[in-house]
Amino acid sequence: MAVIMKQKTDVLQGTLALMVLKTLDVLGTLHGYGIARRIEQISGDLLAVNQGTLYPVLLKLEQEGAIASDWGASENNRRARFYRLTKEGRKQLQVETQDWEQTAAIIGRFFEAKAEDLS
Amino acid sequence: MRTLRRLLTRVGNLATRRRQDERLREEIAEHIALQTAENLRAGLSPVEARRQALLKFGGVEAMKQDYRAEWGLLFVENMIQDVRFALRSLRRTSGLTAFVVITLALGIGMTSATFSMVDGLIFRPYPVPHPSNVVTLVSTTHDNSFDYFSYREYLDIRDKTDSYDGVIASADMEAVGYSAEPAATPRIKGGMMVSGNYFHVLGVEPRLGRGFREDEDQAPGRNAVVVLGPDFWRHEFASDPSVVGRTIRLNGTEFTVIGVAPDSFPGMLTFGVPDFYAPLAMARVFTTNLQKNFFEDRDDRELNVKARLKPGTTLDQARNELAMLAQNLEREYPNVNRSRSAQVYTQFEARTQEDDNWKFGVIFVILALAVLLVACTNVAGLLLSRARARTREIAVRLALGAGRFRLIRLLLTESLILASLGGLAGIAIGYGVVAWFHSKDSIVFMTELPAAVPFRMDARILLASVALSVFSALLCGLAPALQSARVDLVSGLKSADADVPGRKRLWGRNLLVVAQVSMSLMLLTASFLMARSFQHSLLDGTGFAKDRLLMVKFDPRLVQYNAAQTKQFYKLLADRVREVPGVQNEALTQNIPLGQDEFYGLAFVPDAFQMPPDRENFNSTMDTVDEGYFETLGIPILRGRGFLASDTADASRVAVVNERFAKHYWPAGDAVGKHIRLDSRTGTPVEIVGIASTIKYQSTFEKPMDFVYLPLAQHPISRMVLMLRSSGDPLKLVQPVKDIVRSLDPNLPMLQTRSYEDLYLNAAVKGPGIAIQLVGTMGLVGLLMAIAGLYGLVAYNVSRRTREIGIRMALGAANSDVLRLVMGKGLVLVGIGTVIGLAMGFAVEQLMNSMLFNVGGVDIVAYIIVVPSLFLVTMLAAYVPARRAAQIAPTQALRYE
Repeated sequence: MAVIMKQKTDVLQGTLALMVLKTLDVLGTLHGYGIARRIEQISGDLLAVNQGTLYPVLLKLEQEGAIASDWGASENNRRARFYRLTKEGRKQLQVETQDWEQTAAIIGRFFEAKAEDLS
Repeated sequence: MRTLRRLLTRVGNLATRRRQDERLREEIAEHIALQTAENLRAGLSPVEARRQALLKFGGVEAMKQDYRAEWGLLFVENMIQDVRFALRSLRRTSGLTAFVVITLALGIGMTSATFSMVDGLIFRPYPVPHPSNVVTLVSTTHDNSFDYFSYREYLDIRDKTDSYDGVIASADMEAVGYSAEPAATPRIKGGMMVSGNYFHVLGVEPRLGRGFREDEDQAPGRNAVVVLGPDFWRHEFASDPSVVGRTIRLNGTEFTVIGVAPDSFPGMLTFGVPDFYAPLAMARVFTTNLQKNFFEDRDDRELNVKARLKPGTTLDQARNELAMLAQNLEREYPNVNRSRSAQVYTQFEARTQEDDNWKFGVIFVILALAVLLVACTNVAGLLLSRARARTREIAVRLALGAGRFRLIRLLLTESLILASLGGLAGIAIGYGVVAWFHSKDSIVFMTELPAAVPFRMDARILLASVALSVFSALLCGLAPALQSARVDLVSGLKSADADVPGRKRLWGRNLLVVAQVSMSLMLLTASFLMARSFQHSLLDGTGFAKDRLLMVKFDPRLVQYNAAQTKQFYKLLADRVREVPGVQNEALTQNIPLGQDEFYGLAFVPDAFQMPPDRENFNSTMDTVDEGYFETLGIPILRGRGFLASDTADASRVAVVNERFAKHYWPAGDAVGKHIRLDSRTGTPVEIVGIASTIKYQSTFEKPMDFVYLPLAQHPISRMVLMLRSSGDPLKLVQPVKDIVRSLDPNLPMLQTRSYEDLYLNAAVKGPGIAIQLVGTMGLVGLLMAIAGLYGLVAYNVSRRTREIGIRMALGAANSDVLRLVMGKGLVLVGIGTVIGLAMGFAVEQLMNSMLFNVGGVDIVAYIIVVPSLFLVTMLAAYVPARRAAQIAPTQALRYE
């Protein structure tokens, strides 16, 4: 049970990271809540119950140098941490987008394959 | 690359945890505030808006965990946590902690101090570059596995071998008369003759000037040059850099200073630190042996030969080559090289073959390790008790989801901290013991030569101490840690102390007690044996009268006397001191018994004795004395006569042997009137004219040995000791003797002027006393630890069984029944420990006898004293808590817990 959950979070973290990068690529500088909202809007319920899981992912990406963060003022005029994509992050996004598309294509073909194609 | 970057950031982040927590807290607050605002806009009530926002955010604590794991290095962070926790819990039980630390410190300290001895005596590499390929070449015979080579033999080895990148030779460090100015009275310094390539081959670069050139060591007497040792340069010349080129006088000959050896090179000797080095070619100035020609005589073996193995040459190749060379020499010079071989030793072999000092070191290390082992078992026992008392705490931790591995790690961290503290304190104790040794320098070395105890706490020893600490941490922490983590949750939670008296668990604790009792018995036996055999040897007496004796050493070579002048000097000296009021007897001897210098050996063949086929001659220790010697020292002549004034150089040669010698070679008949031949079957015949009683010669605990006396007139020696027996205080004679010597030659120094009693006390009593104090301390420490350990164990057992005892007593058991119940087990354990300890004690006794004392047999008295006292003391340790148990009121015991 624990093993399955662990794998699931790993996948979740991976996809989440990619979503964060894409979100920042499209929308520019955003704070954590903003990113969460955007992902929620696009992906539906992926973050519906666990918005908090976003923060460890943000930290990881920052440590890898893919994103950078600074303090700024939020909509209700309080201190919030704003994240933006770095040059390196853009490169990483490109590579991972390609990887992802490739993987998706392969998996897609696999799922479409019929018994006679494999024989 | 990305991983590395993350790792580095994380290492950096370890220090900024607090800031990171703050940042996360703020981000979460803001996130929830924004979400709440959003919900409010959607029309929810303020309370509901916030609730929904919190729900949506998810579990904050779990997320924080993830976040932290992402932020820092989990492993290091956990370790820091463990250390903090361990420190906290150790502080809570500060008494126990202090006890454990002290116990471990004693064990580790003693072990590292004794390690430093063995390191100094055996293992510490030579202070030269690439020390491991420096080997020692020795001449070997039947009964000598470490003989030197003569100058001629050295030249043969140097020129006819190819295994080496250079072969060097050095004579023993000798007392040399040194004076900076021509008029000054010479002072004694330690000089060493070395071959011209000595510094070059060893790779030692002088800090000033230069080393010897090879051509400075070719023509005897041509190049009077000298290289100073660093300490000598510092003390005598105040580190004056202009010393190179200056002239100094050694034994009355002018030498030019050409260099100063570097601080990194205190010399190649274990104990001695030479003040200066002179080329072998100057041997005439320094030689001790007037009868031999250093440069020509192949049996004048005074040189320690060392060589640097060529890279790629194995030790075996070098050995074969040297063995071949030795065979050739044996063929070529049958007179002096008969049944003589040669051997190549590594540093380790050379140091263990050269003398027996290292054996003391090894025995001390064995005993110190035993102390450490006792300490570790003691601590293990304590930690085990502590872990048991913490069963509930650990069960709670396990129930809350702590991993067993994590728990073991936590407990091991605790013992590691204990061991580190113990190790630190132990290193301090080690420093103390080594300093104590150094404070005894003056007792150990009473020679006039520069010497130092080679024991010191250096990086090697510190490393060993750290390793010992970790080792002890594992030894005493692993078992308790493993056991705690095995706690059964259900029963663990139910009671404070879930010890099910399973056989397996108790087995471990019992083993600890048995080990402790047996180890400390062994330690006590060892110290008792040493103390007793030493005491015995003192009670036996020396065989001569040592009171009211004054000794003064002379060495006319220091002022360049020739043989005739030397003879004249000693004759005049003896005649004049005889006139001094208060002098009862006077004597001259080459060596004094029980002093620091070793007696010389004498090779001889007893006439008409059936020699074993493989032997050329026998060896005996010897001394050269004048006609007053036996009377002055009060050594009885049992048969025949002592030496007389009529035994002159022209008269037929005579000798006096001791009783043991006479019995050894003439077991049936009378030795008086028989002859021995010096060196070989064809050597000079010497008639035995008297038999002296056997005395102690080298040490008070030696076994009786063969001894030969030769008369000074027939065997002239330059360096002699004058011994005077006074009618009162011998030191009152110092001034008259000084006056006489000044009237004979104002430049001749008087060396080692002291009363014989003083020398005897230092050399024969206090010196070995140091060893006995050390072993005695170890035995005592071991015993104290064993007592504490046993007490702790029984006390713990009692406290665990308090309830049971209460029930028993409520049911009518008497005090004595309880006492028996509690003590019975202790008795059995002490009994088993005693039996094992006895066996180990016997083994140690055999070891010590074979290594040091050569007494053999078993010292029953030592066991009669040690065994019952240990038994009594340990029983007392068990009795005190047992008695307390028996006095518990049943009502109180039943309510216990």
